[in-house]
Amino acid sequence: MYFVSFILKNLTRRPVRTALTVLGLAVAVGSMIALLAVSYNVEKSVESAFDRRRVDLVVMQAGKSSGLNSDFSEYLVEEARKLPEVAKVSEGVVDVTDMTRDSGASDPVLIQGWRLDNFGFEDIQIQPGGRMLERGERNKIMLGRTLATNLNKKVGDQIVFGGNKENPYEVVAVFKSFVVFEEGGAIVPFEDGQLLTGKRVTGFSVRVKKVSPDSAAEIEVVRQKLEALRDAKDTTVRLAAQTPDTYVTSVSQLKLIRAVAWLVSAIALAIGVISMLNTMAMSVLERTQEIGILRAVGWPPLRVISMILGEAVVLASIAAVGGTVIAFLGLHLLTLSPKVNGFIEPELALVVILRGVGITVLIGVLGGAYPAFRAAHLLPTEALRHD
Amino acid sequence: MTDGPAEHLIYADRLVKTYPDGDVHALNGVTVGVRPGQHVAITGPSGCGKSTLLNMLGMLDRPDGGEIYFRGEPLSKHANLDHFRARQIGFVFQSFFLIPTLTARENVQVPMFEGPRLSARERAEKAEALLELVGVAKRASHLPKQLSVGERQRVALARSLANDPVMLLADEPTGNLDSDNAVKVLDLFASLQKSRNLALLVVTHSDEVADRADRVIHMKDGRVLSDSATR
Repeated sequence: MYFVSFILKNLTRRPVRTALTVLGLAVAVGSMIALLAVSYNVEKSVESAFDRRRVDLVVMQAGKSSGLNSDFSEYLVEEARKLPEVAKVSEGVVDVTDMTRDSGASDPVLIQGWRLDNFGFEDIQIQPGGRMLERGERNKIMLGRTLATNLNKKVGDQIVFGGNKENPYEVVAVFKSFVVFEEGGAIVPFEDGQLLTGKRVTGFSVRVKKVSPDSAAEIEVVRQKLEALRDAKDTTVRLAAQTPDTYVTSVSQLKLIRAVAWLVSAIALAIGVISMLNTMAMSVLERTQEIGILRAVGWPPLRVISMILGEAVVLASIAAVGGTVIAFLGLHLLTLSPKVNGFIEPELALVVILRGVGITVLIGVLGGAYPAFRAAHLLPTEALRHD
Repeated sequence: MTDGPAEHLIYADRLVKTYPDGDVHALNGVTVGVRPGQHVAITGPSGCGKSTLLNMLGMLDRPDGGEIYFRGEPLSKHANLDHFRARQIGFVFQSFFLIPTLTARENVQVPMFEGPRLSARERAEKAEALLELVGVAKRASHLPKQLSVGERQRVALARSLANDPVMLLADEPTGNLDSDNAVKVLDLFASLQKSRNLALLVVTHSDEVADRADRVIHMKDGRVLSDSATR
């Protein structure tokens, strides 16, 4: 007999209690892993977008929590374009706008107004039957795949914003993008974007000319120059230029998703620890005489602690596997909902799984610690007398 | 008994034990010694302190006063009493205390985790040999609930021998057995004690059990009333 087989036998003696503990913990852990995955996928999606599009700096209005509430004049974009260290600038407007369904109901949709030289057009893939926006055309729209599916729209169909049926937009393409927000949103000509959002420019991306090996220093120089730009007609507006990494960590929506993910993780941790504590405390209480005999035959406190903690960690590990499966299924179920599928990718990254498993094992250790300590310090004579 | 600690395998010198829930002296200056290979019975009425004395000698509990010597060395200076218990002493209890989820073979292996280092296979083989020795080898794969009470006590006896101890401490080992099983288990105790030269200390109410011992210590009110050889 191995020590670990002794631990496993202890867990199987009360199969219903073990199963219920694992199930409860797995649900809590599953929610935690799913939310961590949502947060991680969103951040990675945004980061990879900037990375693929070789963006060195992301610029928006200073003091605003994200591009969605940023607004400044095109003059500042032109000034940025004139900087000698700048290779290319790609500006846009972005906001959430009400799209009116045929039934009259409306759904909030992420709309981006892009010029034809926008970096994003370099990597989105137009699905067969569609075409690119053309210079000078208006009231045309390209739908991300997820949005097109949600709305059941195809090339040639019309889209209405804000109930304005006199000014419909014709779908010219359905596209695939590696950015989850873009797949769940729509792209219109820049001028239409301004009209729909009521904003001038919400942000722009910058590619910096790199001539020396120390590109970080070059980017920093440009960053400072961008932040020093002023519009004489609108002196209150300042620009904030950030590297993509900094931008991702500072955007308030991403911060909120991250905070919610960690808050749910903390709640799951607390629920898990209490549940584990209860299960293991009951288990130790029921086995007081057995622990007494283990101590009597010479098992030191450390081995008794190892046994109880081992049981807790095995329970937690099984729950971690179950939680990962629940998270996987939950994420795929969520993507079936049109309300959220434009913002969620169902992938479970290894780092997220490992983080979830790590937290679950921590739940096992924390929940098992007190019962283990209590069991280890039972006096053999008192434990053997326990009824 | 005039010899000191050096002449005994284990020697309790003026042991005092008072339980915190009252002024009851469970042991009140008890001095006893057991030599290697000696079979000693401790008798006396309920509450006289005989089980307390057994627990002290087995280092399951610590005395409030006095000293216990093992091979002449005071155990109060012993750094690791768990290790001492695991290697030197085997326990047999009236209620067997077998672990219900483990088979007979696995129950016998439980003390071996703290004994001399053995592989899992060696532990299993040793457990089989011990079960053979006590006559329940055919029941090795059975759980305690599938064994008769006599078989359970035999498994408990095999477990007590798991780490080849030099001393067996038995607390009412036949208390839960019928007379036939009691005789068989006592015969087994006697045979093992002789073949392994074990010091055997048995707490009992039974005259039949006490009569098999080399010496009988009679206790009352936490004191030794008499300590005499039976043969």
